[in-house]
Order: sequence, then C-alpha cells, then structure tokens
Amino acid sequence: MAWKAIDRVNAPTEESPSLSEPLKEKIRGFFDRYPTKRAVLIPALHMIQDDHGYVGWKAMEEVAELLEITPSDVFDTVSFYSHFWTHPKGEKVVMACRSISCDLLGADRVLDECKKVLGIGDHETTPDGKYSLMTEECLAACDHGPCLMINEKMHKCVDPANVRKILEDDANDKLDIPRSNLYDGANRTSA
Amino acid sequence: MSEYEKVLLKNVGKPNSRQLATYVEGGGYSGAKRALEQTPDDVIDVVKRANLRGRGGAGFPAGVKWSFLPKDREVTYLCVNADESEPPTFSNRVLMEEDPHQLLEGILIAGYATQATVAYLYMRAEFTEQYHIMQVALDEAYNAGYFGKNIQGSGYNLECYIHRGAGAYVCGEETGLIESLEGKRGWPRIKPPFPAIQGAFGKPTVVNNVETLANLPHIINRGADWFLGIGPEGSSGPKLFCISGAVKKPGCYEGAMDFSVRELIESDRFGGGMRNGLKVKAVMPGGISMGILTADELDMKMDFSDPAKYGLLGLGTASAIVIDDRTDIRKVLRNVARFFAHESCGQCTQCREGTSWMYKMTNRVERGLGRLQDIELLGEIPAKMGMMPGLSICGLSDGAAFAIRTIVEKFRSELEDYVRSENDDAVRIALEIAN
Amino acid sequence: MAKIILNNQEVETREGIPVLQAALEAGLNVPHYCYHPGLSVVASCRLCLMEMKMPHPKTGELGWAPKLMPSCQTPVRDGMEVRFDSDKVHENQERCMEFFLLNHPLDCPVCDQAGECHLQDYSYHFGKSESRMVDQKHVTPKKDVGPRTLLYSDRCVMCSRCVRFCDEVAGTGELCITNRGSKAEIDAFPGKPLDNPMQGNVVDICPVGCLLDKDFLFQQRVWFLKSADSICTGCSTGCSIRIDQNEDHVHRLKPRFNPRVNQWWMCDEGRFGFKYIHDKNRLTRLRLRRGESFESFRWESLAETVRYRFENIAKKQSDKKIAVVLSPFLACEEAWLLVKTIREIAPNATLILGPVPTVEQDERFPVGATNGDTKFIIRKEKCPNRNGIELIIKHFGGNTETFDAFVEQASAGEYAAAWISGGYPTEWVSKDFAKAAGKIPFKVVHDLFGSALTDEATLVVPACSFAERDGTFVNATGVVQPFARAIKPPQGCKRDGQFFYELAELEGLYQSPTVLGMMAAEIDEFKEVYVPPQLPEHQH
Ligand SMILES: Cc1cc2nc3c(=O)[nH]c(=O)nc-3n(C[C@H](O)[C@H](O)[C@H](O)COP(=O)(O)O)c2cc1C
Ligand code: SF4
Ligand code: SF4
Ligand code: SF4
Ligand code: FES
Ligand code: FES
Repeated sequence: MAWKAIDRVNAPTEESPSLSEPLKEKIRGFFDRYPTKRAVLIPALHMIQDDHGYVGWKAMEEVAELLEITPSDVFDTVSFYSHFWTHPKGEKVVMACRSISCDLLGADRVLDECKKVLGIGDHETTPDGKYSLMTEECLAACDHGPCLMINEKMHKCVDPANVRKILEDDANDKLDIPRSNLYDGANRTSA
Repeated sequence: MSEYEKVLLKNVGKPNSRQLATYVEGGGYSGAKRALEQTPDDVIDVVKRANLRGRGGAGFPAGVKWSFLPKDREVTYLCVNADESEPPTFSNRVLMEEDPHQLLEGILIAGYATQATVAYLYMRAEFTEQYHIMQVALDEAYNAGYFGKNIQGSGYNLECYIHRGAGAYVCGEETGLIESLEGKRGWPRIKPPFPAIQGAFGKPTVVNNVETLANLPHIINRGADWFLGIGPEGSSGPKLFCISGAVKKPGCYEGAMDFSVRELIESDRFGGGMRNGLKVKAVMPGGISMGILTADELDMKMDFSDPAKYGLLGLGTASAIVIDDRTDIRKVLRNVARFFAHESCGQCTQCREGTSWMYKMTNRVERGLGRLQDIELLGEIPAKMGMMPGLSICGLSDGAAFAIRTIVEKFRSELEDYVRSENDDAVRIALEIAN
Repeated sequence: MAKIILNNQEVETREGIPVLQAALEAGLNVPHYCYHPGLSVVASCRLCLMEMKMPHPKTGELGWAPKLMPSCQTPVRDGMEVRFDSDKVHENQERCMEFFLLNHPLDCPVCDQAGECHLQDYSYHFGKSESRMVDQKHVTPKKDVGPRTLLYSDRCVMCSRCVRFCDEVAGTGELCITNRGSKAEIDAFPGKPLDNPMQGNVVDICPVGCLLDKDFLFQQRVWFLKSADSICTGCSTGCSIRIDQNEDHVHRLKPRFNPRVNQWWMCDEGRFGFKYIHDKNRLTRLRLRRGESFESFRWESLAETVRYRFENIAKKQSDKKIAVVLSPFLACEEAWLLVKTIREIAPNATLILGPVPTVEQDERFPVGATNGDTKFIIRKEKCPNRNGIELIIKHFGGNTETFDAFVEQASAGEYAAAWISGGYPTEWVSKDFAKAAGKIPFKVVHDLFGSALTDEATLVVPACSFAERDGTFVNATGVVQPFARAIKPPQGCKRDGQFFYELAELEGLYQSPTVLGMMAAEIDEFKEVYVPPQLPEHQH
C-alpha cells in the first residue's frame, strides 16, 4: 500500500493469554444475573483483567465467543472505559486523581513525585513490571485530596514527601476488610 | 439554618455500622417491612406526597418518575445509580461505606414500589472498598431474607446484583448507565423512549440515585409530612452536602436545604471556615457541572431553586469545591475543561468537538499563551452546546457549558488581564512551533 | 397522509415519518450526517436540528419552542409546524460545520470523495469560511479495515452510519467504535476485517471521504464521471444501479434507491463484478465460417444472411428442428425480437431457456435473517432475467424444451439449425453441450467470449455487455425493470437490440421503449414497468 495504515486485515502477531476454563466458568456464573449474555461483558472484563493483568486480543476474541457477540463489540466496549488496559500493565496500578479538588490541593506534585519515584510516565509500566501509572478523574474522595489509588486501596491526603514511602510499602494495595471474591479472576496470577 | 437531627448519617461512627445486626438494632429494615405490608401504589403515593426529589443531580421527584411505568408491564428493572463521578462529590460513597444496609433497605422499598424484578446496583469501578462493603452487606441481607424469593413472607421477589462500572463519568447519566449495564459503551440514548417505558434490556426501568433511595426507609417510617417539614418548600427532606477545597473541615455533612453557601463554608457544622486564613475566591457549589459562584455570591441557598438565580444549572450534587484567593482561575478553567473533554462520550458533535477544542484553548491559556479571541470563544462555544438548547443527547454537555461559561463570564476580567499581559508574538511563535 | 407547515408552507407528507425525511422530500436541503433512512435513528450529529411549534407548558399557547429539535428523530404529526429557515437553525448548522472541520486535514485535492463529499458541500452551503481553531489538530491513523476498503480516520465525522450498516443490514458487525470523546474512532478487530458480501455499501453511505474503496482509489476524479441508470446482472435480485463511466470506461457501479428491490444497497459481487466488460478477450468481430476457418463478415449482411439461412433450413429440412437458445442475460426486448423473427421464418422453432447459473442458496441479510426480518437477498440465480425470458417463451408457446433435453436431442442429431445466445460473464459452455452443438449443422453463436461453442459456430455474433445495452429485465420477484446503456460497445460490436431489430426487419434505430410498447400490446406483464422513485435531491 502506498500509505502507512494500521493493519486490521491480519490477525495480531503478539501473543496474548487465553481464558482458562475456571475463568470461563466464573464468567458463566454471571449469566443468570442478566437477561442477555452481552450484559456479562463488563463483569467478565473485570475478571479477565484481574486474571491476566489486562485484556488482550485473544481474551477479547474468546470472551466474544463465550457471550455470543462479535470481537468488535468487545473491542468497542473495552476501549470505551478507562479502567481496562489493552496491553500488559504492572502488577499494581497507581491511579492519581487529577480532578478539581485534588488538583487544587497539589495533585500535580503528587503525580510528579510518582513519576520520579517510579521513573515512568502516564500509562507506562516500570521495567520490573511492578507498577503502572495513570491519572484518573475524581475518585470520589475529594475531602481527602490529593488521592492516590493503588489497585484497590485508596491513599488519602497524600503528601508528595510521602509518595516514596507509600510506593515502597508492599501492602500498599491491600484492603483490610471483609471482602467478596465474586468479581475476582479465577486463577489470579498477579499477587 | 435550623436545628437539625441527622437522619441519613445517623449511623456514621457507630461501631460495626456496616453490619446487619447493628442496623436492625437501630430500627433498620422496619421501613421495608412496613412498605411490604402496603400496596405498591400506597408506597408510591407516600413518596409522591413527600415530594422526594432525586438526589442524583436533576432533582426529579422520585414518586412521579415511578408512576410513569406502564401499567401492564411484566418485567421492571431498578437501577441504582452509584456511579458517583461528578467532581467533587462523595456523598454516595459515605452512604455506602458507613451504612450499606440503609441503601439496601431503600432499594428494597423502591423495588417493591415499582414491582421491580431485579435491582442492579451500578457502582463505579473505583469504588473498590465500597464494593466489598456493599457485597458483604448484600450477602448478609440475602441470608436474612431481605432479598431473593418471598421477601419477609410478603410474596414479593427481588434479586439484587452489584454491577461494577469501568471508568466513565457518562455512565452516571441514566441511559448511559443502562447501555453500560447491557455491556456496551456508555453512549447515552436518545429519548423518547424514556427508561420508564423502554429502559434496560428494552424493559421498563427506573434509575435512582443512592441518596434518593437512602431516604426511603425514613419516609415510610415517619411519613410524608415529617419529610415535608424539613427544609423549605420544594426542597424538603434530609440532604447530604459535600465540601472540599480550602476549608478547615472538608467532608460530607447532612442538613436541611435551608442555608447558604457561606454557611456551608463558615459554619462549624460544615466546613468550619477557610483554612490558613485564606479567602474565598470562588465556589462551585453543586459539583463542577453546575457552574461557579464568585465570592460575592455566597448568599446562594443550597436548595433546588436558588442556584438558577445565580446563573447556575441547578443544585446538582450539592457538593462544593471552595477555591481560595491564591488560586489562578486559569487552573480551574483548564481542569474543568479537561474533565469534560476526557469524559465526553463522543456521540454529539457539539459536545465531542466543543469540549476538546475548549480544553486545547484553556490549556494554552493556562500556559500563558492565550489570546483575547480564546476568551471570546470560551464564552461563545458553551453558549451553544447542551441538551437544554436541544443541541445534544445528554446533560453532560450542559454541565460542560455551565461550568466553563460561568467561569469565563464571572472571571472574564481576570482572564483577559492574563491574556493581555502576554506577548502576542510569543503566542504566535509558540503556536507555530506547536503546529 | 398528514399536512404539516414547513418553512411557512403547507406540505403534504406521511404521518410518522421523520420530519427530516419529509423536508428532504419537499426539496429542502437540510444538512444531515447520521440519519439514513435505511438505518436506525441515532440523532447524534445534531446537524439536522429544526425549530418546532409546541404548546407553552404553562399557558398552552402554541409557539416556537426554545429548544431546537432533531428533525431526524421527530416523527411527522398532522398539523405540526416546523422550520429550518430561522437564524437559530442556521447558526447551529454553521457551528456544526466549524466543529466537523476542526480536526479535518482539509486534503480535498487528494481525496477521492472530493466532488461528492457532504463535508465539502455542507461547509460551502452552511459553514463559515475559516476555522477559528489555531491549536494542533488531532491526527488519527489510517486503517486498512478490510480487503477492499480503507478507513481514512482523519476525515471521519463519527456519524456511525458504517457501524450501523454492518450491525443492522449486513448483520456481520465487523466495524465498531473505539475510545471515546474526540478520540473516538471507527475500527475493526484485528484479523476480523470488514469483509462481508455487502461491505461496499459502507463506502456509499459514508458522507465524507473516510471510507474508501480500494478498487476506485485515486482512479478518477468524480466530476469526470457520467452515469447511467442500470440494473445489476449479478443475480436475479436485479438491484437498481448507476453505472459511472468516463470515456466509455466503466469505473464503478453504485446502488440506486429502489424500494421494491434493493432499497439503498447492492452486494459486492454485483458491485465489483463488472470488470469482464473491459476484458481484452471479448469477442469483437462478426465472423462467418469458411471451411475450417473464419472470415470477417459485415454487419450490414447479417440480417439478410441469417433470415435466408433459417428460411432455407426450415423449408428444406422439415424433418429436423430449429432451436433458439435464449440466455437469461438477454433483455426481454432482445429475446422478444429474436423469437418473433425466428418464429416468423420457422413457426415450429423450439424455444429453449439457456442454462441458469445457480449456486446452492440465496444469501439473506442481515446474516441469519429469516423471512420477516430480511433486508436484502443475494439470489442463488446468477443472472438477471430468467423470469423475463420465461415470460416470453410462455407467450410464444409452441415447441419448447428445457436446456438439458435440448442438449440430449442435439447430440442425437435432431436439430438442423440453432441460434444460441450466451452473454454470460463467466464460462458457461459444458463439454457435453459443445459436443452436442457440434451435431447441429448450422448455428449462430451470439456470445461475449470465445469458447468451444464459438469454435464450432457457423456464425459468431459478438454480444454486448449490460453496460452497452438497454432494455428490460424481470427480476426474481417479477418486477419488470428497465435499464439504460452507459457506454458504447467496443469497436467491432453492435448493440444487440439494434441487430435484433434489423433482423426483425424493423425500420430505424432500436429504441427499447418502442419495442417494450410492442411487447406490452401482446403480453400483460409488460404493461407495468417499474421505475423506482428518484431520491430527493438532498438525500444521501
Ligand atoms: C453526565 C451525567 C452524569 C451523571 N452522573 C450521575 C451519577 O454519577 N450519579 C447519579 O445518581 N446521577 C447521575 N446523573 C443523573 C442521572 O442521569 C439521573 O438523573 C439520576 O441517576 C436519577 O436519579 P434520581 O432521580 O434519584 O436523582 C448524571 C447525569 C448526567 C447528565
Ligand atoms: S452530550 Fe456529550 S456526553 Fe452526552 S451524549 Fe452527547 S456527546 Fe455524549
Ligand atoms: S467512517 Fe464515514 S460512515 Fe463511518 S462514522 Fe466515519 S464518517 Fe460516518
Ligand atoms: S444482489 Fe444480485 S443484483 Fe443485487 S448487487 Fe448483488 S448480484 Fe447484483
Ligand atoms: S477530586 Fe480527587 S477525589 Fe475528587
Ligand atoms: S441528528 Fe439528525 S441527522 Fe444527525
């Protein structure tokens, strides 16, 4: 072709993980919650991302088959939501709030500090695969800005000076409350 | 401001407030039981009489909304809107975190009133802790027979599932929520048909906010007159207010809708005054979508009718961000513009293109590369977008319009001063390099 | 029926159709992108907005509502009053056009759509002359979305027509929207490209030059193209098409709206199946056998020679039969003239419908559709006029045979002479048939391409392709539809209708409507010819 174009005619060459049988079973477990199979898509994508760390091409294709929709339907939905990653991300995602309250309370300094400590930019992953960084709009904890969320755990009133300490803490993404495993991926590979 | 006894937040701080036993001990689920003994129409009636206006932003009376459901329906869905993504709003979070059963009881009452078969609690993805809290509470409520088949021996069945979102503000819009629930991109639908006629999965559907539903047990227990007795006419009932920014005590507070923005900031019951001797420069009192107030406009009442008098879109989520006098208004403008550009779903031309163009301009203006014409455009573009003038499908663009337009209108001279002080040549050269 | 007031004028229209449709039908140029009458309404481009009179919520008095309304989403109600000629409406159109062009590369000089682009058109009619955005434009990547189609994202106006087409009409759903807000793009899943039998329609309905046909890419500036209204000969559906040509070279086929047949669509098989008409191997010489070889023959002598030879054989070999093989690619007029002539000369001549190329089954769309929800059918009969030829055979009656029986009888030496019309775009002569034909002493073979049959022929008459002919086809559902010629026949060929006309000893130039009139006097079915309504000028 005379011009450079993204190729959609050929299947992607990069490898990406398949859905394991237990994961599929877990997804099927959601079928009776909704009148359509398609409605299980977003819960399924959560489980897939939990299990694989991201939602790759193969997973999209397989979940499409499972839910009897087209892979492009899945691609469409996955790409709409900021929560889903279509390429591998780190074990932990650091989500820095950038909306108004946090911003006025110094969110940009917190973000800069995260970038410095981790040595990565927005939507990038550390070479050791431990952390990815992203910004998000208001995390609904504006009374405690600036906020950082690490996987499930919210860090409130973050002082840039404490960022390093927070990021060095192994348990910085752990919730210490009774929890439900309903949405978790089947065989969580990530810690 | 009247004396006020907490209703919605009364269990906050109680030990084990998340547990069913604690909730029941405090009289919990008695409203639901009472409702189940009445006919659904009786329940709708009392909610209508109480004039419970939706707390999700639009203020539409819940009872009236329910009565739009077609009479001869077989399936009805109840969607509970816990997508709470409007900066700087966090009252739904507090309700779910602190008193999950109050919400569940509200869901049961609304479900019964609307004869819903399934209730979906749509929670934004970033509510992780809150998700676990709600799911654990829901499991408990199921076990105790508050959900499932033949609830409390009434013959009424209601399933309740938590559906987690995935990061998109627009999924808080009721039809965006429904699309998202169906597993699609959260593109709001055109109306008609309205959800009450053809909503989730093509069936009659009611969408209500968390706080709206949390009011129900109390209305059933204490009656419509009690509810009407709180706050001014047209804005009755308990209400949650969020305040954040440059105040001493940012947080979520409860009260009647009978005080001003100034009181919200200054009162010890709420914000507790400005931090570090700072002065108020501006307040966005209802979430950023509603627009901005200057320091001279703090007399605005935090009720459903007053905001319009100050050029605002409405009461919104009654969540105020207090901006202090050291803050560069350009930073606020850019932040707000970025939010809407990032969250526009992209269907409607005016919203998709308008929000991203405005963000580009505000970004430049903040970096000191603004032109007077940019300020003109930032006033003009929002004036011509939104659902209210009929130019778009959902209210997100009205929010964008009010937020940006009121900032530009009310802080025009400040913005123009910045721009005038900039060297035209520098702007031109920077633009050329950028392009 | 409903009456509405449109821009201060009373207009008759139909209750319940979109006001936009009514306005377009009334001749108004209302700009619109997302609305397409064949697709669901999404009302997202917000370009078609109008003003509408509504009762005041408090006083009940009728007045212009403060809100603009999407005319594509508002159904016509008897007595309603709307307008598109107000400042408010124009202002919205102007602003939309500015928005659409914000991130557009303005590369019309190299764009295939230029000249038929509704971005160009609309910005000229409804827009401002220059963009007020000084900031950097988004640059979006081009995408190779399918084997036949390119997506030039930069030019997309996000009308979602293409996506809805794949979902709702083709039923294959290859296209999707990705991302959101101003980053939204049209895309396809890698390895699952846009590749359905109807995909070419997305290029037609794309209002701008975003989806492009690789086949047509950079071939022609559209303003050089001239067109003719024709019928696709790819199958017995008989889609209404437009043939776009320049200097007697066909560049593309486009569907024409036909509510009784193909609506707005056509299939790729038909769309791209015209290449054979410019094949270098086409027969272009009228040839007469002289012993083992052929020599050129003059068209002027054709009628006389053919009549003379058939007359002679009919008289002298009355124990043997004369065959007329009528191809389902012949127009009704052509077949009628031919049969009429031969039957005059040889009243007992046997009429035979030529082979009907057929595949296993019809293809219905959306994929998986059943009777009720079918929007389009690609038929298994890969020829345009079996029904028409059968009508004519039935009309003339007398001796008729099936093609298979004819082949058998011919191998048994029962025929003394035959006129065999082919005109198939692909090989159609089986070994058996060629062998059987060898047993017929005198045969005229009228065909597009050389074959074992032409090798055996006494007289080879080069045929013309559908683009070079005109006449009438009767499609699978019995709709009688005229088609016009688009280009001149290649050097050496003569339009089939013309030499059939001469063969029938009629005076002057062949005009298919004249012949159709003659047929209609004899055959009821031809009394009613269906010409689909023109789309309103500003509908697209
Ligand atoms: C862009 C947009 C975002 C919204 N987000 C929310 C939200 O996060 N939570 C909510 O309850 N309502 C939200 N709404 C309002 C809903 O559309 C709807 O009015 C509300 O959920 C109805 O519930 P209520 O009547 O109980 O208030 C949003 C509306 C718009 C236009
Ligand atoms: S107004 Fe904006 S967010 Fe709402 S539907 Fe239109 S483009 Fe989407
Ligand atoms: S590619 Fe064309 S048809 Fe598809 S959305 Fe874009 S402009 Fe519309
Ligand atoms: S359906 Fe048949 S007639 Fe129509 S375009 Fe395809 S091949 Fe041609
Ligand atoms: S603004 Fe950061 S949590 Fe709301
Ligand atoms: S909104 Fe009516 S044509 Fe697009």
